[in-house]
Amino acid sequence: MATTTAYQVPANLSPTAIANTSSLLRIVALALISAAAIASRLFAVINFESIIHEFDPWFNYRATKVLASEGFYAFWNWFDPTAWYPLGRVVGGTIYPGLMATSGVIFYALKAINLPVDIRNICVLLAPGFSALTAWATYMFTKEMKDESAGLLAAAFIGIVPGYISRSVAGSYDNEAIAIFLLMFTFYAWIKALKTGSAFFGTVAALFYFYMVAAWGGYAFITNMIPLHALALILMGRYSGRLYVGYSSWYAVGTLASMQVPFVGFQPVRTSEHMAALGVFGLLQIIAFAELVRSHVSSKQFRALLFASVIGLGLLGTAGIVGMTYKGWIAPWTGRFYSLWDTGYAKKYIPIIASVSEHQPTAWPSFFMDLQFLIFLFPAGVIMCFRQLRDEHVFVIIYAIVASYFAGVMVRLMLTLTPVVCVAAAIAFSTLLDTYLNPEQPEEETPSAAVPSTAAPSETSSAKKGKKAAPAPATLAELVSNATGPESTKRKTGIFGLDTRLLVILNALGMLVFFVWHCTWVTSSAYSSPSVVLASANPDGSQHIIDDFREAYYWLRQNTPEDAVVMSWWDYGYQIAGMADRPTLVDNNTWNNTHIATVGKAMSSTEEVAYPILRKHDVDYVLIIFGGLIGYSGDDINKFLWMVRIAQGVWPDEIQEPNYFTRTGEYKIDDQASQTMKDSLMYKMSYYRFAELFGGQQAVDRVRGQQVPKTGPTLDYLDEAFTSENWIVRIFQVKKEDLLGRDLKSANSFDQGKKKKRSKPSSRRRAIL
Amino acid sequence: MLLWYILTLFILPFSLAAPKDSNAIHDELVKLAKANNGVIKLDERTYDLLTSPKRTWSAAVQLTAMDAKRRCAPCKEFDPSFKEVGRSWSTVPAEERNSHFFATLDFDNGMTVFQKSAPIVHVYPAAEGPRKPANGRTAPSTYDFSFGFEAGPLAEQLSHHTPIPIPYQAPFNWSRWGVLKNKWTWAVGTVLTSLVMTSGYMFTRIRGAPWSGGNGQWIAPGYQNQFGQETQVVAMIYGLLASAFLMLTVVTPYTTSPSRQKAQVYLWSVVIFIMYSVLLSLFRVKNKGYPFKLLL
Amino acid sequence: MLGPWRSSVSFFFLAIAPFVSAGHSFENTAIVRTVELGGTVVHVTTTYAVKALEDGSNIYTIALGQKEHEATSALTAKIKGQMAPLEVEKLGAQDGDFQLYDIRLPGYLKAGGTTNLVVETVQTHVTYPYPEEASQKDGQSLKYEADLLVLSPYDTAVQRTKIRSPFPQIHSYTEPNVEFTEDAPVTKSGATLTYGPYKNVFPSANKHFVAEKQQRIYVHYSYDHPVLEIVKLERAAEISHWGANLNIQDNIHLRNAGPRLKGHFSRLEHQSQAFFQRSAPHMLPGLTLHLPAGIRDVYFYDLIGNVSTSQLRTAPSVPKGSQNTQFSVLELKPRYPLMGGWNYSFTLGWDSPLADSAGWDQDLGKWIVGVPVMTVIPGTVIDEEELKIILPEGATEVEFFAPFPALNDELSTAVTYLDTTGRPAVTLRYKNLTDTHAGIVYVAYKVPFSAHLKKPLAVATALTGLFVLAFVWKRVDTRIQK
Repeated sequence: MATTTAYQVPANLSPTAIANTSSLLRIVALALISAAAIASRLFAVINFESIIHEFDPWFNYRATKVLASEGFYAFWNWFDPTAWYPLGRVVGGTIYPGLMATSGVIFYALKAINLPVDIRNICVLLAPGFSALTAWATYMFTKEMKDESAGLLAAAFIGIVPGYISRSVAGSYDNEAIAIFLLMFTFYAWIKALKTGSAFFGTVAALFYFYMVAAWGGYAFITNMIPLHALALILMGRYSGRLYVGYSSWYAVGTLASMQVPFVGFQPVRTSEHMAALGVFGLLQIIAFAELVRSHVSSKQFRALLFASVIGLGLLGTAGIVGMTYKGWIAPWTGRFYSLWDTGYAKKYIPIIASVSEHQPTAWPSFFMDLQFLIFLFPAGVIMCFRQLRDEHVFVIIYAIVASYFAGVMVRLMLTLTPVVCVAAAIAFSTLLDTYLNPEQPEEETPSAAVPSTAAPSETSSAKKGKKAAPAPATLAELVSNATGPESTKRKTGIFGLDTRLLVILNALGMLVFFVWHCTWVTSSAYSSPSVVLASANPDGSQHIIDDFREAYYWLRQNTPEDAVVMSWWDYGYQIAGMADRPTLVDNNTWNNTHIATVGKAMSSTEEVAYPILRKHDVDYVLIIFGGLIGYSGDDINKFLWMVRIAQGVWPDEIQEPNYFTRTGEYKIDDQASQTMKDSLMYKMSYYRFAELFGGQQAVDRVRGQQVPKTGPTLDYLDEAFTSENWIVRIFQVKKEDLLGRDLKSANSFDQGKKKKRSKPSSRRRAIL
Repeated sequence: MLLWYILTLFILPFSLAAPKDSNAIHDELVKLAKANNGVIKLDERTYDLLTSPKRTWSAAVQLTAMDAKRRCAPCKEFDPSFKEVGRSWSTVPAEERNSHFFATLDFDNGMTVFQKSAPIVHVYPAAEGPRKPANGRTAPSTYDFSFGFEAGPLAEQLSHHTPIPIPYQAPFNWSRWGVLKNKWTWAVGTVLTSLVMTSGYMFTRIRGAPWSGGNGQWIAPGYQNQFGQETQVVAMIYGLLASAFLMLTVVTPYTTSPSRQKAQVYLWSVVIFIMYSVLLSLFRVKNKGYPFKLLL
Repeated sequence: MLGPWRSSVSFFFLAIAPFVSAGHSFENTAIVRTVELGGTVVHVTTTYAVKALEDGSNIYTIALGQKEHEATSALTAKIKGQMAPLEVEKLGAQDGDFQLYDIRLPGYLKAGGTTNLVVETVQTHVTYPYPEEASQKDGQSLKYEADLLVLSPYDTAVQRTKIRSPFPQIHSYTEPNVEFTEDAPVTKSGATLTYGPYKNVFPSANKHFVAEKQQRIYVHYSYDHPVLEIVKLERAAEISHWGANLNIQDNIHLRNAGPRLKGHFSRLEHQSQAFFQRSAPHMLPGLTLHLPAGIRDVYFYDLIGNVSTSQLRTAPSVPKGSQNTQFSVLELKPRYPLMGGWNYSFTLGWDSPLADSAGWDQDLGKWIVGVPVMTVIPGTVIDEEELKIILPEGATEVEFFAPFPALNDELSTAVTYLDTTGRPAVTLRYKNLTDTHAGIVYVAYKVPFSAHLKKPLAVATALTGLFVLAFVWKRVDTRIQK
């Protein structure tokens, strides 16, 4: 070889030896990556314990326990009377069973080989386990995009990137835990099917799509990504038999399979979310036919005409779908989905969705926090994809646009952005490494031909022509030769010298190391606390665990009757069901707005008004979260306004948000708080006897940073039943009607020997109901 | 009757002499051209006429082999383009139209003429008269197929030899919106979108965040909050870093002089390092307690 | 070092050995019954000063009233000043009025010979909180009920009953009128009540007497410790020779048997009381357990996860057989303070080196492992216990020796990690255990060498299979057309 090399590489190696070594290295690398992925998610277990996190996971965990103990059919037909008391909930038909089924299968499999692992541990460790699989799937996917090295990088990135860890630490037993793996693998199978045109991979994609549908509501993302990709390819005039086979097999099998999930049912042919897939499917059939015709005639115009007509038909189809939507044969976008486009929609019409913190838009720090340096490698990677615009690259590009938009709209959708960012970044990064690790040096050129040095843009612009290289005038020839780029003039391009290489490589390595630090720090500090247990530091710096939630829940579980109905704001529904094992009025599966509004109304109205509501719903205990003592900011007083809003949505004339603000329009709980605020059940329960705790001193609410009135509120219709160690959880018992038929207020004041207070007769009558 | 006969006797020599006269030839060619909408179907004789040394017109001649038994796929592919260009030429005003001809000669009608492969297009400049090229080169030039077989480039190139450019209208054809066809426009679009999105544009949109806070502060306090201006700055930093990477990967390797390349490598590496530290410092402002920092 | 086992073994066999019973005639020169009041457990010591009326008499019969008999969870008889327990045989119930026991004296008494017989019984569930509800501020008082007279089939010259309360306050007590005495039937001095002396009580172990003369007395006294009761205790002891480890796990359902909390629990009250060190007597803030020395990996969790509020001070492990005085002390704190009537169920477990409690017995040619029946919580009764001892996989010839007979026992198989055939397990069930029952169950078994190899073989085969599969899958070409 004429070219010089920047550094020596062993020359006399048999290709087989090289192949074997590299494959071995690949396996080792993947193993290490999986290990790292799993290990970095165990902070939660090490810092705290093997416990289910957050809120939804508690429901999943409970459902899984039912599955594990009573078998699959019992689970399938499970009607849960304790949820949404008194309505109950048909669990089997209203969940995505994929997650529970997965851990159920694992549980039984292990049991079969005499490894009786506790179902809780399986649930806790499911997410880390699947994160390893995700890394593998990402590797396969990226391998299709560039090569193994890029694949390994991508796997490493997604293995430890906080954007994914945030939803998959040990204990966050939620659908996302397995969904991302399914997402990536489905995409991989799709790309594979597209490249090889094999119906087999199309079917594999379909099967994993089915798994995805069974596992996560976010499957709609796949349902629209793949058609979008296909459509883009068609419009780029890249229709091919491979596309046809791949897509058709995916769509046909996948759709039929997905309809087997009870919760999905006939949506694939009924709702707008799925229409894109159907439309593209139809379009492909038309085009396939057109291509058939075209292959027999050869007039260019005819082709153009045919193409136009195809497009026309396609548009017609879409128009038809739209028409049917208006007619109402096809359901329009669901609110959750629609709110992604019309970002103001949710706040207006579905406050429950808007009230969830993870549905807020994303500010840039979160992006950087979650993706660090990948976030700016990401565009570079996209450009790389544009450079050699193969079919699969189109996919990455579309994915990039769509996902980055979604991630911008909702914090939670950062999760869908993360994989593509990792892939793109990996492509960019590995290209950099390839360029600067390649030992070959180009030989210097005579200045005469220094023209192409600026050829990067021109090269690509004339790439198309380059394909038909033919004898041509000199000036032309040069362009063409540039155009054919790396292939024809490999030896011309490259890096001179060793220092340049070292500089870039060191810089890159530095970034990687930094990335690892960043991920470790973020994961350990931000994403590994199971919100059920709070950690604070003792004066001596050791960790002090605040365990109020479990204290209160366990008290409920052990010392209240089995059928005691507990009312709380919906955030805590799943936890109460899971840990306290008691019936709840509302929970995190927010399917019944009115029911939630009822609770909101009870919380935000006066005792007299609330009491009949409580009694009618057989409420025995009311549970609230109060952070005022130790400054736990996620408490009910801070969520109170949402309760008011949601209640107002249903009873506009009884509950008005403005009444809960001071005259100056501030949200206060001290002396200036509005009367409505002070009379509201929530306020009363939160600050009941709170001031007394401070003895003589001025009581201060540490969350609001405001001074609490000295004379605290009094309760006539409820009774403090339990308060946890740090007052975070307070449980009140609803009194039964007075035996003498007095209304409880007067009864109370009578017991306290006071003279009967004159209270609004109306309310009294209602109270006696 | 007899008189007629005599007349013919008279005329005959003229008529025989007629081909010698270029105008007559020209008229004939015009007719032929008109007859076969803009493209003359040649045989050996008409070919000689068309390319006669004292022609006052220019001509583009396609040598092809359309007959199936010749199995000339490219011929079949190229023929429509040539026809299309010829047709569109036939729409120009007469005097220009008649000063340039399109013609096609099939192999089976003029074996002798063929020397090289088919298809091939010879362009004959005028050998006499006003349109004789300045440099006097009257030898035919050959159309370069590296422009592809499409009609567009063909018309474009041939226009160099016609009195006025060929008013070639692509049929319903994508090449019209070349901008949209060019992937780099798309690339730029994509990258810009993702940059804007990942730097929190939607946040400012949805929350209606102000362009910048009062008293000239442009960084919003708080981790989950930001001003419009931040979006821009952050997007630009991201963009700069990304492009620096691209420069290192895509452009630098094509630099063929070691010194300039070295300069570039150092430059971009430094840019990356500095911008990265700027970004970090920015992040530390938003997220106190972030332990890491580079330069600043 | 095999001493203790031997003795226990022999004791076990003797205890079940039958012996002829023949009523001999005695008279009681004096009977003194001392009742040590407590929470759920009451200790009663009755001393019989016995005088034989004929030669060669060595079977002395005592009687317990029906209620007393039902409440009694343990009964031991000794000669005063001696350690060796005497054999006691329970006779058939006397149609629901009282219960007779035959006690075999160590030697034969000739006529006029005397001896002092000491009978110790432990009674459970004989007290109950009164009043039944107490608010957070109130104190706690219990009521104890018992029969006034000690029954005996023989004439009794004089008998008296002393009732000692652990705390000075005795709110009230019955003042019966008894025909066997002229002066006050009961005298109270400090924390002690004395019923009697009652003179010349004729043989009382008969229907007639019980119906006519016997009467119930009660004592209402204040008790300032939380009254605890373990409703159910499930102890599983797993022996692993591979890990040289004995794992013991208790599932405990604890209940505060004191007066039910009146009204509701106010954290404010509780915190201020704690602040002024005036906590309610019936409130249980935590327990202090004495676990064996040398334990490790102690875990304490309940249905919803680990309980982080507990302190452990472990003692180094001590050689087996040596007199063990030191313990690992666990200060166990429930999630919430246990008020009267509240429940708290939790799981407590630990590992301990197998060598501390197991040994190889040469002459039996067996392993012998000792497992304590329970972890003693003083003054607490265990209503039900299920003790399950899981032996190593493949253990054979299993036999066990309990310090006192179990209600029932069974042999089952338990399957756990990496087992192929499963492990033999011994299950014993008990009722109403108190601290007097703190004994050790010894299990003897053989483990053939092959059994030891089971696990590694199983694992090895599994892994090999895996590799072979992978190998085949990589190598075999499954494509249809090449």
